[in-house]
Amino acid sequence: MNNLLRSVGGYLMNRQAVRHRVIQGIFMGIFVLLLLVPAGCTKKAEEGKTTLHFVTWKPNIPEAWEEIYSIFRAEHPDIELVRETGPHSSTAFHDLLTQKLKNRSEDVDVFLMDVIWPPEFAAAGWAAPLDEMFAPSERKEFLEGAILANSYNGKIYGVPLFIDSGILYYRRDLLEKYGFKPPRTWQEMVEQAEKITAGEAGKGVEIYGFSGQFKQYEGLVCDMMEYILSNGGNIINPKTGKSGIAEKPAVEAVRFVRDNIIGKIAPAGVLTYQEPESLDLFIQGKAVFHRNWPYAWEVSNNPKRSTIAGKVGIARLPHFPGGRSYSTLGGWQAGISSYSKNKEAAWTFVKFLTSERIQKLLALKAGRAPTRKKLYGDAEILKAYPHFSGMKDVFLTAYPRPRTPLYPAVSNVLQRYFSKAISDPSSDIEKEALSASQEIDRLLSLAK
Amino acid sequence: MKPSSRAKERIFALALIAPCFLFVVTFAFYPIIYSFYLSLHRIILGIPSLGQPFTGLENYRALLHDRIALHSLINTLMFVFISTFLEILFGLVIALVINRHFRGRGMVRAAILVPWAIPTVVSSQMWRFIFNDQYGLLNYILYGSDTSSYNAWLADPVYAFSAIVAADVWKTSSFAALLILAGLQVIPDELYEAAEIDGAGAWQRFRRITLPLVKPAILIALLFRTMDAFRVFDLVFVMTQGGPADSTNVLQFYGYKKMFTEGLMGYGSTISVVVFLMALIISVIYIRVMGKGMLKAKNA
Repeated sequence: MNNLLRSVGGYLMNRQAVRHRVIQGIFMGIFVLLLLVPAGCTKKAEEGKTTLHFVTWKPNIPEAWEEIYSIFRAEHPDIELVRETGPHSSTAFHDLLTQKLKNRSEDVDVFLMDVIWPPEFAAAGWAAPLDEMFAPSERKEFLEGAILANSYNGKIYGVPLFIDSGILYYRRDLLEKYGFKPPRTWQEMVEQAEKITAGEAGKGVEIYGFSGQFKQYEGLVCDMMEYILSNGGNIINPKTGKSGIAEKPAVEAVRFVRDNIIGKIAPAGVLTYQEPESLDLFIQGKAVFHRNWPYAWEVSNNPKRSTIAGKVGIARLPHFPGGRSYSTLGGWQAGISSYSKNKEAAWTFVKFLTSERIQKLLALKAGRAPTRKKLYGDAEILKAYPHFSGMKDVFLTAYPRPRTPLYPAVSNVLQRYFSKAISDPSSDIEKEALSASQEIDRLLSLAK
Repeated sequence: MKPSSRAKERIFALALIAPCFLFVVTFAFYPIIYSFYLSLHRIILGIPSLGQPFTGLENYRALLHDRIALHSLINTLMFVFISTFLEILFGLVIALVINRHFRGRGMVRAAILVPWAIPTVVSSQMWRFIFNDQYGLLNYILYGSDTSSYNAWLADPVYAFSAIVAADVWKTSSFAALLILAGLQVIPDELYEAAEIDGAGAWQRFRRITLPLVKPAILIALLFRTMDAFRVFDLVFVMTQGGPADSTNVLQFYGYKKMFTEGLMGYGSTISVVVFLMALIISVIYIRVMGKGMLKAKNA
């Protein structure tokens, strides 16, 4: 066949000319393709249909989201919903989304915001204020902390979709076996962990005492904040508005983590762990205690993924003697871009997404804790997540990270300081805390 | 007046290089100049009310006093020296081996290029797994099933830094080898034959023939590797995010964080400009040295 073609080709022109033809053909092909690509990209909007771009991340449980989209499509045939899926990691998603907003992209109408972004997005003018649409009476239906997180300079910039807060997971079977109750203080947790790991090691079972998130990244700030606040310390001192990390309670809490947790009851590897790695350790039955967000309940009780399904207990995070328990507030909000040309349709979608029934769906099918107070009394949700009723006040009192438009910069200083303080047993914590403190104060004064 | 044929030719020549020139201007010169322009301003995305005031060399002054920038510069330089040295060394050894005739040489040559052909993000991810504290291959090789002595490599500042160097050396030694191999292949066999007849041993042949003649190729490999190592980013981004305790924070990653995460466009650009200038200086030095070497080789 090939030979035949070649001989026919040779009859028409010599080989060199054939090669030229081929090359020309390829170039022409590329050229035509280049012309076609933009033409193909500009989709013609159907008559009377509004196209709405929703920038979201890759979900943990995609089926739940697919269901949400199909409900919306069925109810709003006049809106063409286009999804733009960004990375799963909050930091990477932030970099992508702000890049689009910086360029005033029209391909963003509605986006998801991490709980720490609203001040930045508001100050930069990226998020549109929603006061006219999101009435104060409506806001009362939501958890106060979540509403506060979305407010900046007296205006509101997002609607809370679901909420996260730090929770202590523990091996109920092991604690019962050794006659312990869930620990109330961090010291108790360390003691219990030491006794259980020693006892289990005697039987040839290898298990660590604790796993959490201590890599140099945003999660480190969340975890460390819980230790500092539960010792009566502060990241930003609410009285002075300045950094509180060099104050004694904060420094003591950090030292406790370095001396009693990292490389002691927790493996040194936690210094490289984000949420998934630390959860892996727990669901493989290799940790007695585990700090994570609410979604870990769903995963650790899923017999397909977890070796400890049904043996998991859940409790408030411990605190230091004389302090009280604190959980870091996390969670995601829906916001509308200032550059959106379809703000009305955008609000329709935001309202739909944060409505009671969709939040309920997200709670039941994706394990997400709702932001509407009423749902914490919902019989179906409580049946699936019995701990939601006992944990309600954990969600109610979850504490936000510092609220400033320069939060990403403040967070980087904190991450650097915490990582240095806890990964080096000989680090001079006071000195490091002081220099990080000065850096944070400098940033805060810029934002004033 | 009718233009002379010479002038016509010049215009034609200019027209021919114009597309290429425009391409370079748009995609190389413009970003560099724009970065420099940004670096002279104070631009904080989170606080647009500050505007974009011109601050002269203020950012550069701040950079001089930025101890984290200094720390990442030291990290970067250490990374450049150690990884480039090892890559050239391994590259030379690999090149010498695959320059010899043996059965299956074609296969080996192809296989050696595999690490280089894998995108860095993918290989970084792979190395991250190898160094993992619980299920990493390295721990398994070293300690087998004795999980109690498993080491959390990426949790230790020194090991984490070494891990990044190792991943880079693994990936790009083959690139150095490829360049050096090209240099080896132009050395005529007669030289070796003559030297052998004159009684030169293997080491003497290597010192006196191979090394001097392959030097230009080594220098080119060195230049490419230094520049690349200087701009290391993806390895750090995937494997450690700069941690633990900032031990793997390199200049490019620091600049990226400033610009894309913290929104400090001015200051971040300043870091990029400084990285650019350093890379430029290094390459000028190399080209000078190389140029001299080439001239000598020609005159000899």
